[in-house]
Amino acid sequence: MKTKRAISVYAAMIITAGTLAGCSGADSAITVISREDGSGTRDAFTELVGISDDDTDNTVETAEISNSTAVVIQSVIGNENAIGYISLGSLCDEVKALGIDGAAATAENINNGAYKVSRPFIIAVREDISEPASDFTEFIMSSDGQAIIEEKGYISVSDKGTYTPSGSGGTIVIAGSTSVAPVMESLADKYKELNSGVTIEIQQTGSSAGITSTIEGACDIGMASREIKDSEIKQGLISTVIAMDGIAVIVNKENDISSMTSEQIKSIYTGEIVDWSEVLYE
Amino acid sequence: MNKCKEKLMHGIFLVCACISAAAVAMICFFLFANGLPAIREIGTADFIFGQTWKPLENKFGIFPMIIGSIYVTAGAIIIGVPTGIFCAVFMAKFCPEKIYRIMKPAVELMAGIPSIVYGYFGLMAIVPAMQNIFGGSGKGMLTASVLLGIMILPTVIGVSESAIRAVSDSYYEGSLALGATSERSMFFVVLPAAKNGIMAGIILGIGRAIGETMAVVMVCGNQSILPDKLTSGIRTLTANIVLEMGYAADLHRDALIATAGVLFVFILIINTLFSILKNRSSDQ
Repeated sequence: MKTKRAISVYAAMIITAGTLAGCSGADSAITVISREDGSGTRDAFTELVGISDDDTDNTVETAEISNSTAVVIQSVIGNENAIGYISLGSLCDEVKALGIDGAAATAENINNGAYKVSRPFIIAVREDISEPASDFTEFIMSSDGQAIIEEKGYISVSDKGTYTPSGSGGTIVIAGSTSVAPVMESLADKYKELNSGVTIEIQQTGSSAGITSTIEGACDIGMASREIKDSEIKQGLISTVIAMDGIAVIVNKENDISSMTSEQIKSIYTGEIVDWSEVLYE
Repeated sequence: MNKCKEKLMHGIFLVCACISAAAVAMICFFLFANGLPAIREIGTADFIFGQTWKPLENKFGIFPMIIGSIYVTAGAIIIGVPTGIFCAVFMAKFCPEKIYRIMKPAVELMAGIPSIVYGYFGLMAIVPAMQNIFGGSGKGMLTASVLLGIMILPTVIGVSESAIRAVSDSYYEGSLALGATSERSMFFVVLPAAKNGIMAGIILGIGRAIGETMAVVMVCGNQSILPDKLTSGIRTLTANIVLEMGYAADLHRDALIATAGVLFVFILIINTLFSILKNRSSDQ
């Protein structure tokens, strides 16, 4: 009975708010943009903000779904009322990243724990890893590799010593998450400078596809922006966290809001808040 | 010597012919070998008629996607077919030679533009226009229908034009001789005579629309819900596969392959219709 009343009061509030806002009310209806089911970014975001609980993802069904960071950014640039989320490292000047619970989305705030929406970047290899691939992972975890990770706006996780080029040669094939790929490309470029005999091929296929091809032996290193599943570890994979990445909640530059509580973000993504006026005047 | 050559070439042609047949057979095998066990595990009725697609919670209902594919294709037909047929009529009968020399290559070029480019065009041009007209995000059924309507034009125009040209001139002239105007002769004599060819063009267009992926995924919003209005977002079967394939594992992955199997059955039905029509027109 109580819930029923709460719902009717809430409905009345929406109707009143809608009437007060008049015709322009429809113009500021929030366009919620999410990623597809299974995306590492979505997994991390819904869990960290509390949109999913007990493995149930409560993202509102009317949320628009994009399958790449680029399309999310493009949609937010093109729509004043849109809200989306992307990897912090992919953030560009054409959109605005919201502060969450009073902390701006910066690497520093992730490091000191003030900005809570962050997730690990993972690489997975088989036990019988090839010589050059093993050397490359050593480079990633060295202070030289971690410096590149920080330079790209991610958070370093390891402080093993400097890397000494082994002069190894051969081909390394890396496949997986589109979120990890940009930083992996920078790492590969630097590594190729140090070891001229190595060719590195990076394929952006998505976390799961990358892991699967690592298990099957089609590539040497798999990249994932989510935790490795137990079923995958059983098939003989070793996973390593190479960096931490924040998830930035982005809105159009015309939007007046610059910060929200994680509770508000959760309400927007679960469909409890449907109009920007409910956020602005709260 | 010559006989030897003859035999060798015979063999080469046979191998070439087998490659395409083998490819289809292998795709068929792959789709059903992976898809059928998944469908059995999910339950046929739950899979085809289930209305919730939440793969991470083991809810695999593709009914919204089937409806989405059908709606978007229907929308594309409503927009693309009349435009295409009128364009074909114009190009076949009323078009001055000068314009034809520009129009024909333009239409052919349309068919060659990669679908991702159409998608980008949709995202940059049609989506903002829809935002201005209807408000909201601008992505949805109507936007996808308009874009697909444009994309099927070259197929519809090309096939319809050759069908109209194939109608013997005596039909048109006979109608004129009986006192009909040029337009009336065209629409009530020549077009009905070219009916089968035009239908074939439309069916090919449907095939293209239902199978289109990259362009649609960028403009349809991709919500797996049953649409309640023209501007509401939808997800097509193809979009479902391309969206989640990169991240899917285990049963989720197999369910996506099963989705492809359902799509394959749709395409089979469309192609069967096409060949029935073709046979009928060659019988005449």
